[in-house]
Amino acid sequence: MGIQEQYRSEAASLLSSGEVKLVIGFGAGSTADRRRPLFARTGEEANRFVLDASCIANLSTYLLTEGLLSDGKKVGIFLKPDGIRSINILIAEAQLKPDQVVILGYAIENGQLTALEGRSVADFNGVNEKIRSLALPPAVQQDIERLEAMSPVERFQFWQDQFSKCIKCYACRQACPMCYCRRCIVDVNQPQWVNTSSHTLGNFEWNIVRAFHLAGRCAACGACDRACPVNIPLRLINARMGREVREAFDYFAGESTDQKPVLASFSKDDPETFIL
Amino acid sequence: MSEPFEPKIVAFVCTYCTYAGADLAGTSRLKYATNVRIVRLPCTGRISPLFILKALQKGADAVLVSGCHPGDCHFTAGNYHARRRWTVFRALLSFTGIPEERIRFSWISAAEGAKFAELINSITEDTRKLGPFTQYQELQTIIETQSTY
Amino acid sequence: MAKIGVFVCHCGENIASMVDTGNLVRSLSDHPGVEVCNEYKYFCSDPGQETVKRAIREHNLTGVVVAACSPRMHEQTFRKACAEAGLNPYMLELANIREQCSWVHSNKEQATGKAIEITRSLVEKVKRNNELKPISVPVTRRALVIGGGIAGIQAALDIASAGREVVLVEREPSIGGHMSQLSETFPTLDCSQCILTPRMVEAIQHPNIRVLTYSEVEEVVGYIGNFTVKVRNKARYVDIDKCTGCGDCIQKCPQKKIPSEFECGLGNRSAIYTPFAQAVPNKPVIDRNRCTYFKNGKCKICQKTCQIEHCIDFDMQDTYEEIEVGAIVVATGFQIQDTSVYGEYGYGKYKDVITGLQFERLASASGPTAGKILRPSDGKEPETVVFIQCAGSRDPSKGVKYCSKICCMYTAKHAMLYAHKHHHGNSQIFYMDIRAAGKGYDEFTRRAIEEDGAGYVRGRVSKVFQENGKLIVRGVDTLLGKPVEVAADMVVLATAMVPQPDAKEFAKRIGIGYDEYGFFNEAHLKLRPVETATAGIYLCGACQSPKDIPDTVAQASASAAKVLGLFSREQLEREPVVAAVTESTCAGCWGCVMACPYNAIEKQDIKDRNGKVIKQVASVNPGLCQGCGTCVTFCRSNSIDLAGFTEKQIFAEVMAL
Repeated sequence: MGIQEQYRSEAASLLSSGEVKLVIGFGAGSTADRRRPLFARTGEEANRFVLDASCIANLSTYLLTEGLLSDGKKVGIFLKPDGIRSINILIAEAQLKPDQVVILGYAIENGQLTALEGRSVADFNGVNEKIRSLALPPAVQQDIERLEAMSPVERFQFWQDQFSKCIKCYACRQACPMCYCRRCIVDVNQPQWVNTSSHTLGNFEWNIVRAFHLAGRCAACGACDRACPVNIPLRLINARMGREVREAFDYFAGESTDQKPVLASFSKDDPETFIL
Repeated sequence: MSEPFEPKIVAFVCTYCTYAGADLAGTSRLKYATNVRIVRLPCTGRISPLFILKALQKGADAVLVSGCHPGDCHFTAGNYHARRRWTVFRALLSFTGIPEERIRFSWISAAEGAKFAELINSITEDTRKLGPFTQYQELQTIIETQSTY
Repeated sequence: MAKIGVFVCHCGENIASMVDTGNLVRSLSDHPGVEVCNEYKYFCSDPGQETVKRAIREHNLTGVVVAACSPRMHEQTFRKACAEAGLNPYMLELANIREQCSWVHSNKEQATGKAIEITRSLVEKVKRNNELKPISVPVTRRALVIGGGIAGIQAALDIASAGREVVLVEREPSIGGHMSQLSETFPTLDCSQCILTPRMVEAIQHPNIRVLTYSEVEEVVGYIGNFTVKVRNKARYVDIDKCTGCGDCIQKCPQKKIPSEFECGLGNRSAIYTPFAQAVPNKPVIDRNRCTYFKNGKCKICQKTCQIEHCIDFDMQDTYEEIEVGAIVVATGFQIQDTSVYGEYGYGKYKDVITGLQFERLASASGPTAGKILRPSDGKEPETVVFIQCAGSRDPSKGVKYCSKICCMYTAKHAMLYAHKHHHGNSQIFYMDIRAAGKGYDEFTRRAIEEDGAGYVRGRVSKVFQENGKLIVRGVDTLLGKPVEVAADMVVLATAMVPQPDAKEFAKRIGIGYDEYGFFNEAHLKLRPVETATAGIYLCGACQSPKDIPDTVAQASASAAKVLGLFSREQLEREPVVAAVTESTCAGCWGCVMACPYNAIEKQDIKDRNGKVIKQVASVNPGLCQGCGTCVTFCRSNSIDLAGFTEKQIFAEVMAL
């Protein structure tokens, strides 16, 4: 039995036994290699789940839908390692309750799917080596290195060119499971810290502030990148921040559900080589 | 160039250590460059990255953030939190091409008036060499032209 | 509409000589919102302040900027002036154009330009200032003193004598602390018990003092003026109210060979015991781990001996109580360092190598040898005693970096006591420096040398070993530059004073800071030596740093004065620079809760009309918040703001630069 059939039947039994009220997974999309989210409420609907190498989206963001979990019932969800990290972060930040989530975990390596063992959040608490190793695609790593090799002036120009395309549609924010604020900083107008119109300065500010807010919270799922209609490589900046907190504070975002937010905690021995 | 470039430097400081250190530089009549403008905050913990972005928008060629030495924070831990934030924010700015030399951080205690004066002089001198931060300031002019539409 | 008054001070020539004040006034007069702009020679003078007040009244000003000296200098002066003129005192900002402008620059044109910018940005800030009121906090006028040594006793007596209630908590069965173990005290050589015991009795009999011995502070919650303290009263197995202290049970206890903590192992005690004869309260306690009944389920001889019914109760349990107090004095004292780290000195290996505290017990009239200085090994009088100073102190490699402060003095005292008791004895003291600063201290050490024949050898000891029944002390005399060997009968180590082993854990529990060793941190080493960074918690005695009895008592009285100052009012007024949460936008991520150094942010339930919790948001307790603003910076959605330094204010200030 392939992983798709295995998870279809597992989702169906979760639903028909009443253990979960909903399973969030993937359904067929508009083209052969696109998938769209599928929300199954019955065992029958679960048979429409698709699980293959095209299922790359991080579905955890749907768990934050207003009111979805307020009845205390459980929801099942298809998650890759990045999605599991997102769940851990959301639990650490009190946005989710661990006992309301049933994880149908899978990993994609070289186009091959494998099922991840464990169903409860606790099974993935203390993210294992496999999840760590899949944290950052090599292509992203290479792009970061390419940017870092540039002079600051070139780098600034690179980002200026990128950010000048931004139309402030906030699709990145919408796609990101970490952007759960009830009011985004960009919508604060007393005072207006971030210019809202989509000129380059405001775009610069918006993207810097968003990256700062994601530092140590990004699961590197790339949802922002895929959501961006003008193809700004947003995941580079977030991945660079992920590397920073790992190197400076040995912090791997989403490692566990009781992790303290990296910027709300400190160690007296934190590095400070740059402070005069 | 006829006149030497005079950089604009904005300093965000905590009131208990660095602001008091700057006061000490004054009472000791130490002389330093006039280029710095000080914004007083209760603690380095209150200094938000947004302040730095706004200072850059207002044409700062360099920004200084300064507070109490580790272990000396009046609020016990504000500077430790700040230090983490700065580590991350500095890496972020650097990655977006905002040179590290333009965003400076220091610990200056209430007793270090001389350190404050020397630091302002050296940052002013360094920034003179770097020249104006036109790359960022031009973003601002892009707004102005856009906003006339 | 904002109506701002700007007042430019010349400060005599201090500002006016370097800043063109006329130009400053002209520039600011045209600034939007500035209603009136004046200059004057000294605005801090009476006529200067009158000018400000008159302007506030005449122009109905909504805010004031005084361009003058540092706010650290005259903010209070002008706040008061504003208040007297009917303007909220927090609608004032000081533009620092003296310390941070005129005094540090020598180019008048540039200095003037800078002064204009400084003043302008503060005008923009003050336009957005909010009217604030000092925060009133009620004060529970009862103090908790933690630790019943001389520090705690003194603090408790001073507070109680001023008419305030005190709860004195001591974890041992008796108050008295280390001082009760000492024989004579320097520099007067009066007997420690003779001067301490009356204080102990006064404390337990004082109508305003409640002494809780054999009790520990488990938890402290709350804030200045309003602490709730959870105290665990450990099961004593003796009803302290019924017990008459006759001591029959102690006599009859079959377990007699338990090394006494009070005697530093040089004497024994029974399983039911009082730590020492003058214990206060003089009521015994059963050592559960050593009691035959608790071990074997049989014995109860003490209970059978006791004449009072139900006085000894083997079923007694720990009890807990919560006490409301307004201030806390921490006086938890010290311990001596474990000297076994110095294998070369042979402590633990040779019975006659003892610590200074053990020597105190030998010299004490109430001690195991009734005041005779005898060798623990064979009970003989030692002919030669070697004292090793800095056995742990000032030794970064093995011991502690700091000076334990009391050892020079007590070693001189020990040599003296030894000379007084053994007229022909020979004492040799290995020392690094003789630190005898204090009233009568240097005279005291001179007396030890000149009158009592103490031989001081400047140098370190490398090894102590046994040979032919003698302890051979091998060291170096650095003044002569020669190695020395002394054949001693007894070696006394001046061990370092260290914090209590659980000091750090205790500090975390009650919320105060500590240094690398575990000594508690004062708010300011010089200017606020008995306060901690946590308002309402004070320090005294050796828990803050090593100190002798005179310093400890002085500090205890100082902390009592601080407590009484706090208790002089029913309400406490605090600067209203505190954070507040916008509930509607808080996402409840609790980053602020974790970041707050004061545990001032709590989770608050938001309920619907039917009382159902619909969400939880952060809520700042203004009594606990100290106003650092770390939470504000953390909050991604800007749902917390800090009064006096709001986002709007800072934004305006920066944007006007």
